[in-house]
Amino acid sequence: MLGGLAAAAIYVMRLDRIVTHQFQGRRWTLPAQVYAAPLELYAGLALSSADVEQELRRLAYRRVAAELRPGTYRKTGSVIEVGLRATRFADGPRAAEDLSITTADGAVTSLRDGAGHELPIVRLDPLLIGSVFPIHGEDRIVVTPDEVPPLLPAALKAVEDRNFDTHHGVDPLAILRALWVDTRAGQLEQGGSTLTQQLVKSYFLTPQRTAGRKVREAIMAMLLESHFSKSDLMNAYINEIHLGQDGNRAIHGFGLAAEFYFGKPLSELDLDEIATLVAVVRGPSYYDPRRHADRALKRRNLVLKLMAAQNIISQAQASAASSRPLGVSSKSSGAYYPAYLDLVRRTLRRDYREQDLTEAGLKIFTNLDPRVQADAERVLDRELARLDRLHKQRGASLQGAVVVTAPQSGDVVAVVGGRDAEYDGFDRALDGRRQIGSLVKPFIYLAALETGRYNATSIVQDAPVSIRVAGNKLWQPENFTRENYGPVPLVRALAESLNDATVNLGMDIGLEKVAGSLERFGLDRAPPKNPSLLLGTVELTPLEVAQLYGGLANGGFRTTLRAVRAVISADGKPLKAFPVEVDAVAEADPVYEVDSMLEQVIERGTGKPARAVLPRGLVVAGKTGTSSDLRDSWFAGFSGSDLAVVWVGYDDDRVTGLTGETGALPVWSHLMADIATSSWSVPMPDSLQQVTIDYPTGFKADAACSSDLVTLPVPPGTDPPVKPGCPAQSFGAVVSSSVQSLLQRAGRWLQGFAH
Amino acid sequence: MTLAVLAGGCGSLTGPPYQPPAAQRPSQTAPQTAPPAGPAPQTQSPSPVPAPAPASPQQPSRQYQLGAAATALVAQARQQAASGEPQLAQATLERALRIEPENPLLWIMLGEAHESSGQYGLAGSMGHKALQLATGDPRAQAAAWRLIGDSLRARGRNPEANEAYARADSLAAQ
Repeated sequence: MLGGLAAAAIYVMRLDRIVTHQFQGRRWTLPAQVYAAPLELYAGLALSSADVEQELRRLAYRRVAAELRPGTYRKTGSVIEVGLRATRFADGPRAAEDLSITTADGAVTSLRDGAGHELPIVRLDPLLIGSVFPIHGEDRIVVTPDEVPPLLPAALKAVEDRNFDTHHGVDPLAILRALWVDTRAGQLEQGGSTLTQQLVKSYFLTPQRTAGRKVREAIMAMLLESHFSKSDLMNAYINEIHLGQDGNRAIHGFGLAAEFYFGKPLSELDLDEIATLVAVVRGPSYYDPRRHADRALKRRNLVLKLMAAQNIISQAQASAASSRPLGVSSKSSGAYYPAYLDLVRRTLRRDYREQDLTEAGLKIFTNLDPRVQADAERVLDRELARLDRLHKQRGASLQGAVVVTAPQSGDVVAVVGGRDAEYDGFDRALDGRRQIGSLVKPFIYLAALETGRYNATSIVQDAPVSIRVAGNKLWQPENFTRENYGPVPLVRALAESLNDATVNLGMDIGLEKVAGSLERFGLDRAPPKNPSLLLGTVELTPLEVAQLYGGLANGGFRTTLRAVRAVISADGKPLKAFPVEVDAVAEADPVYEVDSMLEQVIERGTGKPARAVLPRGLVVAGKTGTSSDLRDSWFAGFSGSDLAVVWVGYDDDRVTGLTGETGALPVWSHLMADIATSSWSVPMPDSLQQVTIDYPTGFKADAACSSDLVTLPVPPGTDPPVKPGCPAQSFGAVVSSSVQSLLQRAGRWLQGFAH
Repeated sequence: MTLAVLAGGCGSLTGPPYQPPAAQRPSQTAPQTAPPAGPAPQTQSPSPVPAPAPASPQQPSRQYQLGAAATALVAQARQQAASGEPQLAQATLERALRIEPENPLLWIMLGEAHESSGQYGLAGSMGHKALQLATGDPRAQAAAWRLIGDSLRARGRNPEANEAYARADSLAAQ
């Protein structure tokens, strides 16, 4: 007998140790929370009042007519008043405050705080875009007691554990009552477990329902109660309890459940929404509000009834709430960006262990722009659907990928891993390695310019090519049109993506230099040094292409592409920053020349269809890419503020019948048109000068003898021969007009002296 | 020879005037410029219709300024640097850069911030980046060269540093 008691005592002491150890120390695994870049508002920003409203709704702000609370906004004409939520940025917290935004003609005109003072710049709260949850799949957003609406613990007690405040872990009366109701009603209407027992069950034990387990659970519940206060236990419960499943992600805690089911922070839930979550407690699967809406609704209304019966709410409140629809958001309306999160995870895995990412409650601030992301997803889906209709293929649909960056800073702004972007599957943007085809050409032309022997107007021969390659075979690539055009200026060879001219050029300057130029711009593996490199047989992912083209867009400065901006600890301490870095990898002048030639790709070359889609006057530059046999369709291009890379093809690598121009270009140009970007407008370096040539032939010319002129930046002293048949006089006139203006300036300068 | 010398130093002689950027992206506004000083340059297009606009017109001389939002952020960054929070100051300057990524003044300021944190190589790179954007604005170019000079001297490359300072001085005199 004594032995039995002693054994029991030891057993209880062991359980006691488990309970205090687990509960006192790190209580929960806190997955890292990941945030998009906050929207910066300032006077002059191109954003209509409809756009502002859309951004607020994306952040789950609700429109109200009356009092402004955090999480709500009012709209009167062109003025939107917002109750900004308390939030945290990478550089610190911000308390809740009021903001008034005035717009006119599609732009923000003024920002004022609650006291009416003008604000030069304000950030909206950053959008939560996901969390890095552990392999065993628990995800949660921890809430502190002041973030919990008082109705929630009241409702939990009313429904699950009426005597929570007084019992010591187990409620014998509740057990009896439950048994009584069970046997009478034949169905489980009231459980007999206290909240504490449920907490123990969820926290410590596996869901085996043996008698032994039940006893253990009861003892541990009583032990918990002896060590911790009721409010501690309630808070633990609110953060712990399992409330849903999303694929392999288990939704734990009311904080995340509020986001998951209603897209809102817990503190902003209405009575009926709180009741729905409390209803779900009894069985997240059985009462899943999305899959079993009628059951969930019935139980929600039962919860409301119980709350009214115990005078937590009035009868009127209960009736009003009962008549509302469930109001659960569709799952994909929450912000969920698996491709971007993937990039974030890969970045951080270099510096953090899995455990740190999934347990330490880190806050990760990224460069994602949700608007650009939404545009990119929408445009890709729409264009691929259109192309599928045009090029009906049995058993396969086209796929695609998009990467958007801000080339000056290297911020990765959007990543689309495929059609139906919310599907967490193969990420083509990060992992889809495909031959880049003609996308390689700008790097060949850059290498040529860097030798000093070529400029944008130099003549290169677009003549048939025949090269002996490995295995004593002959490589004889052809132009896409299968024609050859003889001597052409460099700009034309690039704009029209002439294969033979490019190969001739590349062989002249040497494969070493071409490979070198790719490596300098960020290619992290040595490309194969055989002649087919000149037609882009190297395989890259869209992200890698974005890295390469970033250096072109950024005038010869390489910036490492960054998805993560900063990492902050759970208690707000900055842990790591990923600052903007630039590194000069090429001389500015040749890069500027290449960029100007890439502009001609859009004006005159294979990118010309983009012009019809882009806003008039928007200056952009880019390159089409088509791999051999038309399996991969690419476009990489940039404006003044954005760079976008698009790939289109089939997952099973079959022939698409699309070129870069017909496949990827429409996606790119519609995207650039949608995101309201600005012109590429870097000033021409002082060390270059302009020359005007006849585009088809490369001769110097003017309007009198050519109807297809192009003006290009070239090194000083570049003097192409004059087009034969050009009236010498008219050409002389061009020269003299510039001499004339020079003389006029010199004259004024001299005049200044005379005084 | 004379043509080249005059063309190099005195701003645009041919080509249409500078076109401001078209539709603005939310996170960017055009770099603010003051109107050019002195007589308006002769603008003459050597190739009228149907030739398109030239690749990028040579700039009339200009003076970069900061817009209101960037100005406020720069002020905040200065405060943060003064209170011994260099990391915060850098982050705030980066916010300004996102709004005006092609404004050389911001690159110079961010470079100076890295300079004071001892990241001389990065500071120098930002000086070169600023230089690339500052074509046509001698004051900004001078400031960029000074930053480049400081970063070279800090790394013990004195002859090159002196060259950079000399260029800064001659530009500042313009």
